[in-house]
Amino acid sequence: MAKKATLALAIGIMLAAAYAVFAAKGWQWKAALFPLAIGIPLFFLAAIEVAWAFAAKEAAEEPVPNSALPWAWMIGFLALIVLLGFPIAVAVFVFVYLKVQGKEGWLFSIVLTAAVWGAFYGLFDMMLHLPFPAGWLLEWLGLAA
Amino acid sequence: MLEALWEGLLLVLQWKAFGFMLLGIGLGFWVGLLPGLGGATTLALMLPFIYTMQPVEAFAFLLGMHAVVATTGDITSVLFGLPGEATSAATVVDGYAMTKKGEAGRALGAALASSLVGAIVGAVALAAAIPVVRPLVLTFGSPELFMLAIVGLAFIASLSGEGARGMVRGFIAAGLGLLLATVGQDPQAGVARFTFDTLYLWQGLDLVPVLVGIFAIPEIIDLFVRGNSIAGNAPPGKVAKGAWEGVKDTYRHFWLTIRCSLIGTFIGIMPGLGGSVAQWMAYGHAAQSAKTPEERKQFGQGDVRGVLGPGAANNSKEGGSLIPTVAFGVPGSTSMAILLGGFLLLGLVPGPDMLTKHVAVTYSMVWTIVIANVITVAVCFLFLDRLASITEVKGHRLIPVILVLVFIGSYTSNSHYADLLVTLVFGGVGYLMVRAGWARAPFVLGLVLGKIAENYLYISTARYEAAWLARPVVMVLIAVAIAVVVYPFFQTRWRKRHG
Amino acid sequence: MKRRQLLVAAIGLAAAPMVMAQSFAGKTVTIIVGYKPGGGYDATARMLARHLPKHIPGRPTVIVQNMSGANSVIAANHVYNVAKPDGLTIGTFNRNLPIAQLTGVDGVKYDITKFAWIGSAANESTILAIRADLPYKNFEELRKAKETVVIGSTGPGANTHDFPLLLKDLVGVNLKIVSGYSSSADIMLAVERKEVDGRAGSFTSLRPFIERGVVRPIVRARSTEPGIDKLPVDESFAPNPRAKAIMALRSAPELVARPYVMPPKTPAEIVKAMREAFARTIDDPELVAEGKKSKIDLEYMPGDQAQKILADVMNQPKDLVAEFAKYIKFGE
Repeated sequence: MAKKATLALAIGIMLAAAYAVFAAKGWQWKAALFPLAIGIPLFFLAAIEVAWAFAAKEAAEEPVPNSALPWAWMIGFLALIVLLGFPIAVAVFVFVYLKVQGKEGWLFSIVLTAAVWGAFYGLFDMMLHLPFPAGWLLEWLGLAA
Repeated sequence: MLEALWEGLLLVLQWKAFGFMLLGIGLGFWVGLLPGLGGATTLALMLPFIYTMQPVEAFAFLLGMHAVVATTGDITSVLFGLPGEATSAATVVDGYAMTKKGEAGRALGAALASSLVGAIVGAVALAAAIPVVRPLVLTFGSPELFMLAIVGLAFIASLSGEGARGMVRGFIAAGLGLLLATVGQDPQAGVARFTFDTLYLWQGLDLVPVLVGIFAIPEIIDLFVRGNSIAGNAPPGKVAKGAWEGVKDTYRHFWLTIRCSLIGTFIGIMPGLGGSVAQWMAYGHAAQSAKTPEERKQFGQGDVRGVLGPGAANNSKEGGSLIPTVAFGVPGSTSMAILLGGFLLLGLVPGPDMLTKHVAVTYSMVWTIVIANVITVAVCFLFLDRLASITEVKGHRLIPVILVLVFIGSYTSNSHYADLLVTLVFGGVGYLMVRAGWARAPFVLGLVLGKIAENYLYISTARYEAAWLARPVVMVLIAVAIAVVVYPFFQTRWRKRHG
Repeated sequence: MKRRQLLVAAIGLAAAPMVMAQSFAGKTVTIIVGYKPGGGYDATARMLARHLPKHIPGRPTVIVQNMSGANSVIAANHVYNVAKPDGLTIGTFNRNLPIAQLTGVDGVKYDITKFAWIGSAANESTILAIRADLPYKNFEELRKAKETVVIGSTGPGANTHDFPLLLKDLVGVNLKIVSGYSSSADIMLAVERKEVDGRAGSFTSLRPFIERGVVRPIVRARSTEPGIDKLPVDESFAPNPRAKAIMALRSAPELVARPYVMPPKTPAEIVKAMREAFARTIDDPELVAEGKKSKIDLEYMPGDQAQKILADVMNQPKDLVAEFAKYIKFGE
């Protein structure tokens, strides 16, 4: 996994550097100088790392556990926020996570969700008046406030 | 001067002022602790309340609040690997690593004790510098600030992994950070660089969503996958007990802590460098104090010095950044800009007057910083064992709470959903870096210093053409930068010769 | 019996206009600021938010929300396209947004003239100030200067950059503009360090330094305030009508320095009520006293006036705009 991760990073950065150099070529020199001065060496350094990574022998290492599930939860939370709006998403996510992933009992889940939601709402909505747009789903359904 | 010092102390110790300071401390405690409650935002929100207060009371309140944020910000960094403030990000690297080894108490003790030392050093510097501060700040022009950014970047060498390959990776990470720092509208020609036609990227990548993503998300994944508590399989009871050990660590590495405090103060005094630079330079310096490559490898795995350095620096820089704010009316960070607004509101004009006519008020600020931090650290120690034992709670109970903090912390910068996406994207980058064994600190350094380096380079060249290279302070800083870069190599050679 | 009837009738008559007028009772009015907390737009909005409730019928709660990004284009887009025209959302943003629209900036999704304009809460005057120890005491002397005078600026789009740029390119003053400073306060530090010789900016922000004797004001833009009205206006030195028009175009938004708008198609009675509320609030002695302390000087310009000024800006001939865009880019 280390080798795959290194390769992913190095190749990704190589591509990013190449794109940067390519995009910067068209700008006035004042705007282009820095991106070029950094992008060009970065490309070559990343290329060296890619070569190194290919050449190196894969050291025997413990299998890395699959991280798909935590990513799914996090992306799911983001989706909830966009669909339902921040406040509702917070309550739903915390509760569902505790029940489904944490396998906690009903009472604990409800109490912790209420506590988190209460603190969140009190601080960020009531006190700081942060703008929390209504979720897209609610707007489609005409349920937005 | 002693007279003014005494007068300043008396000003703070009046009942009303003291009371307001306590109120400010209470508020600042939570502001620092919770990501999303930014120090700057909350300060701005508090400004209206100070209209009816006397100057000293208002300062006691504002400063009491502000002085404490840097201390409690370290707590979330250590306990959850989630920076409570952008200025507490460096504490995450070794602080959270210690927590994972079950040493949360020790890490917290070290963070708090070093914060206190840093705050005191910063305050003392503020007090002592008052006679010389104007000439000092005036000597550091744009060329010198550019060189300081270069010195900061030189620390990349010390923060990278070991060996040639580690260096290359460090420079790649730094290069990526520097490149990402150019995103946005450039201040020379007004060209929108790398904005992909979105309005969101116009002003560049905001630091907080990136930091929160790159540090906190990989740790959340790690915690999820492990399934146990943050403290892992540490023997129960050990976690909380270490607090005193952490304090002793501060004493054991006393001179390192002092040096890092001085670094923080110095960077804080330089306006225009921003609030996030000091902690990383201090971290880099702490990493340099490792005497052998094996020791050096420990940084990032839970070396207490990696907590002491940034812990001290992010507090001392507060005292330092008051100096340009008070003496010149040039705020060193957003929070300082707001404090400046507060000064004007209270009828105090920053400038030479604050160092002469109103010097007692300035000294009262010094005392506020010291006293506020002493109180906060004392209170934190009382609850330290309870705080540390959070790390023994089952991971899956904490993860949803931490994730809420992550997302809200990222959102409050701009109230833009895109920031959440940025956090996840950099979470992915951070995850890959952790898996690949790449250090993340050089990336952050590049991101934080990129704009500063570019802008000051242009200003220096536009103003002085090539002559700026010959300025005395610039030459000294070039030497310092070279020294910082080659130091690790010399260390190994010296070791081998005497080993 | 009769007296009571008279009383009821009298009360009824007195109450009738109030019943017909807008009432915001029980509601929350949100002012969306296109910047993060701490800046001038934000401070002004928060000050207004504190005193507006008294003057809005129904005494609603007034809160401030920050929606920063893209120099407040994002906030303007939001107020224009997303916010409901029910009188509960007010927007305040970068005074240079008309320029963004005029020069065809990508991403602009609003038409500045179609907002429901409440008005401007202040006017800003831009001046150029140079270090007091330089030998140039007025604009004529500056113009004749043999040595280059270095002016520090933050970047294109800010008045620190654009005002001196036009003086340099159109009037031919021997200036060199050095950009990249992170804030106007940093430029002042550079002035004290003698790294730069002066800066342009709002009179409000330069006043403490003028009073301290660090810098001396030399020339101003069209908009004026007590204290600088004796200064020459940049436009009067324009070598030709086109140059003069370009300078006028640059400074037009400064007359509408703190724009306050509501979403397009907000009902006329609501707009009227808001305009009155703003006018009364800005005259409120408590607000004036607070403003004196924090050095925020508010002055109300009614919405229709503001709208007219900006409509004029939008109506400029295409070739003038093209020429203008060569010098001025939208930025801060």
